[in-house]
Amino acid sequence: MEVLKRIIDIRHWQHRTKIVVGVIFCVLAAAGILAILNPDRQALMKELSPEMQQLIAKDEGRSRKRVTVTYNNLAVISYCSCSSSGAEEMSERLVGFAGAVYHADSGVAKLVGQMANYTYRMLGCGENILHGAKLTIFLTVLTVIFGVILGMFLALGKMSKRRIINRLSSAYIFFFRGTPLLIQLFVVYFTIPGVFGFAWRNLFDTSSTEAVYQGAFVASLIAFSLNSAAYCAEIIRAALQSIDKGQSEAAKALGMSYAQTMGKIIIPQSISRMIPPICNEFIMVLKDVSLVFAISLMDITTVSKNIMTSEGSYLVFIPALVIYLIITAFFTCIYNALEKKFSVYE
Amino acid sequence: MESKYILETEHVSKSFGELEVLKDINLQVEKGEVICIIGPSGAGKSTYLRSLNQLEKITSGKIFIKGNLFLHREKNRTVEKISAEKRRGLLLEMGMCFQRFNLFPHKTALENVMIAPITVKKEKKEAVRREALELLDRVGLADKVDQYPSRLSGGQQQRVAIARALAMKPEIMLFDEPTSALDPELVGDVLQVMKDLAQDGMTMLCVTHEMGFAREVADRVLFMADGIIAEEGTPDEIFLNPQNPRTQSFLKSILNP
Ligand SMILES: Nc1ncnc2c1ncn2[C@@H]1O[C@H](COP(=O)(O)OP(=O)(O)OP(=O)(O)O)[C@@H](O)[C@H]1O
Ligand SMILES: [Mg+2]
Repeated sequence: MEVLKRIIDIRHWQHRTKIVVGVIFCVLAAAGILAILNPDRQALMKELSPEMQQLIAKDEGRSRKRVTVTYNNLAVISYCSCSSSGAEEMSERLVGFAGAVYHADSGVAKLVGQMANYTYRMLGCGENILHGAKLTIFLTVLTVIFGVILGMFLALGKMSKRRIINRLSSAYIFFFRGTPLLIQLFVVYFTIPGVFGFAWRNLFDTSSTEAVYQGAFVASLIAFSLNSAAYCAEIIRAALQSIDKGQSEAAKALGMSYAQTMGKIIIPQSISRMIPPICNEFIMVLKDVSLVFAISLMDITTVSKNIMTSEGSYLVFIPALVIYLIITAFFTCIYNALEKKFSVYE
Repeated sequence: MESKYILETEHVSKSFGELEVLKDINLQVEKGEVICIIGPSGAGKSTYLRSLNQLEKITSGKIFIKGNLFLHREKNRTVEKISAEKRRGLLLEMGMCFQRFNLFPHKTALENVMIAPITVKKEKKEAVRREALELLDRVGLADKVDQYPSRLSGGQQQRVAIARALAMKPEIMLFDEPTSALDPELVGDVLQVMKDLAQDGMTMLCVTHEMGFAREVADRVLFMADGIIAEEGTPDEIFLNPQNPRTQSFLKSILNP
């Protein structure tokens, strides 16, 4: 009972590195074994009905395929679906798991197969980096990096005694925290190119179909970074101001300039204090990034929404939530390690 | 410009808003002189020391260092501009030790001592390191060089802070109650380091409540009260035969609490 309680109390985990490492290790080991046992594409195709196999064989020579075959390999589980159109309409689905192949046309196996397929698509497997979870993570990480850098300048600006710099920084922060992120995204994506007469996709090779996505990616990165900077600025300012005044006085008395004092004394000390709130900001950005569905970037949210509309599968959102949770948990672990690393001297 | 005095202040006044903390302070310090400043809480002792190295902006007055004008302000405005380079040069003639040490907690003892010569004076790391080790040895901390401040006792931290200030080779050392945040048994080590410094001819201004130290080491004792130097003289004059009734009552309260 006690053990169960401890495992359920997730917050407890953070203080129990051993347990976390143990659990992660077990999960990885299990995944490794399952991945080794996992049947490959050929093993799955062998289990198709003879009719379907014939159809596929006939298809081989044709330039226009009658049968669509999708094969999704998620390492621990694989999924294959074949469907033919036209006169001989047929469809068959298979799931490969732990060395065995299951027919997945009904019941639990069907559900498992669907989930495997949705997860595969939401992770953006087999696509470039601007798809699925890869896009979400990539965009989030870049946003927070740019947000922290710009936020650092804004924080210093807001602490500045120069009135104009101080006012400008405050106005920036007020504006970006006081308006909805979605509209900021629309402004960057639609209004700015509209006013200045350019298109985001023209920044890239427009002969490729990816140019639209690349352009939208740049626009959303700009919008999110500008927005995140406003929040990071407040976090950084609070951290910088939490450092004892005696520190900057000691530095001044030793003849250090403002830049030297900030760079060598104040900022290094405040980093360990910034990490928890920046981690929080990171998690907020991770979720905010789902707003890119409004400009049709294919992140986890957009893919799940598309699956919902095209296949009427209302269950697709459950694996979507799980994917988000796993990403959050992963980055929380990284931040905890960072925080420990940066506060060694305390 | 040669001057007899290493440090001079003329008509230094300082107000925090309505509150007048320093009122027309004049002081001349000769090279190698050790001056102890005593006085009741709120007298403006810290404010005076901090004004000298511009941690506080004085309202009006002039400060000279080695005969060079370092600061001249009237009505809260700097009237004579001094080039930033010259000002920094003169500022570096003063080292300061704080009541609460203010060591940099993210740097080891050695790094604390090394950082200013490297970043401010752009000196070579190897030479700075050698000198820093020497300084730490001089304050009796040769075995603590790689410790972070959080692992050092208060007395050890204050001695690192003294070494850190000395690393910039100042001609004048300012001490603001360097021992009053320390446990009584740790005070002795710090005072010993200060005595050694005084013996080596360092010019020192010490705000202190250690009357024993003041009597033994000081060349001159200033008694400050309500923002003025109410009385000054040799330690014997102040401690054995104080003239000002405020000095008398202050000494009485501090010597027989
Ligand atoms: N930053 C400030 N803003 C407003 N008032 C201040 C400030 N610093 C000091 N004071 C006031 O100035 C007066 C003198 O302070 P100061 O610290 O110089 O006294 P002190 O002689 O060093 O006393 P102590 O022995 O307690 O350290 C006090 O009344 C204090 O309240
Ligand atoms: Mg004081």
